[in-house]
Amino acid sequence: MTRKALIVPCGGIGKTYGSVAREGAYIVTEDLRPKDTRLVPLALVVLGDEEVQQTLAGSSAIAIDGCKLACAAKVVASMGGTVAHAIQVLDVYRRHRDLKPAGIAELNKGGQELAQALADEVSGLVDGIAAEETNA
Amino acid sequence: MPELPKRKVGLVSCSGEEISGGTITRLATLKVLETLRPEETVTICLPLFLAGGEGDRAFARFYPTIAIDGCEKRCAARGTEMYSAKPAVSIVVSELCPAGAEEQGTARRLNEAGMKAVNAVAEEIALHVDRLLGAPWDQSRGESAGDDPAAQVKAPGVATCSCGSGIPVKTLEIGGRQVEVLALPLIFDMFRQAAKPAVDETAAEMIETVRLYNRIPEGEEALWKLALGREYASYCAEVR
Repeated sequence: MTRKALIVPCGGIGKTYGSVAREGAYIVTEDLRPKDTRLVPLALVVLGDEEVQQTLAGSSAIAIDGCKLACAAKVVASMGGTVAHAIQVLDVYRRHRDLKPAGIAELNKGGQELAQALADEVSGLVDGIAAEETNA
Repeated sequence: MPELPKRKVGLVSCSGEEISGGTITRLATLKVLETLRPEETVTICLPLFLAGGEGDRAFARFYPTIAIDGCEKRCAARGTEMYSAKPAVSIVVSELCPAGAEEQGTARRLNEAGMKAVNAVAEEIALHVDRLLGAPWDQSRGESAGDDPAAQVKAPGVATCSCGSGIPVKTLEIGGRQVEVLALPLIFDMFRQAAKPAVDETAAEMIETVRLYNRIPEGEEALWKLALGREYASYCAEVR
């Protein structure tokens, strides 16, 4: 994969699903696909940071949002990025109802497992982006 | 009777996911919201200024705000000023608790030094909260109001994440312009439930409440009163 896929979690601070989004992003970028992905802090995108703008312009982004307001997907798109996939944590939870997340500063076991499930899904999407690049 | 949003201090942290300082801002903010000053503080996610509506962007005009940043890029402070209003206070973790790379752990997992920094930053935020609530605040301008008692509103309530709740707004046509008036839906509810009739005297009284949350340009008071009276009459007719 020549260009890294950008993983952009929502930055949510006050809700459990925001913490799951962030933890899932860490699992993808540090554990599962460190060579193929790059974590992008949404605060820098909001501010229009020049380096981040250039990065956004050249790569596909996967936005991970903790609530329906979809800040990550909306902000990346409004700053000129390409949102290849927009993931909602709630949708992942619907597919894994046995993993009940709780906690914000520190996720419970269910939250950590949900973050892992989220990360597994995102990793699959990263692989898909890589395959498209290879075939292009 | 519906309650108008009361005075609290808004906390906006950068939450920067790339550096330990960002994690420190987030955990320190949560500690203040949940433990140190739960009744006096409220937060909003920084990206919501861009992704949300006018009510979200009004956040820092409504609340005296403390921006908490992990590094000198000051995304929270600059973003808040860019999209809402200048924060009353700007705290930067790398200045308050200077440390070399990874001395405080990683962004994903803080170590003991990182957790100490969380406590130090949280204490600093709490001090500023107390100071800000001890001074009058002009919500319409997003700055200290000096000694004007009209700008002071008492604090109540519980710790809240403001994501998506925003500040309710209503758009009025005033002097041929479309103007978004903060908190007007709640003000209308409050006046109607107090059985205030849609007459000139009510509009005159209402403008004083509206002024707490909005800046009324000099020389436009009569136009605002006219628009408020007209809109309130229409609101009363609708809900009758």
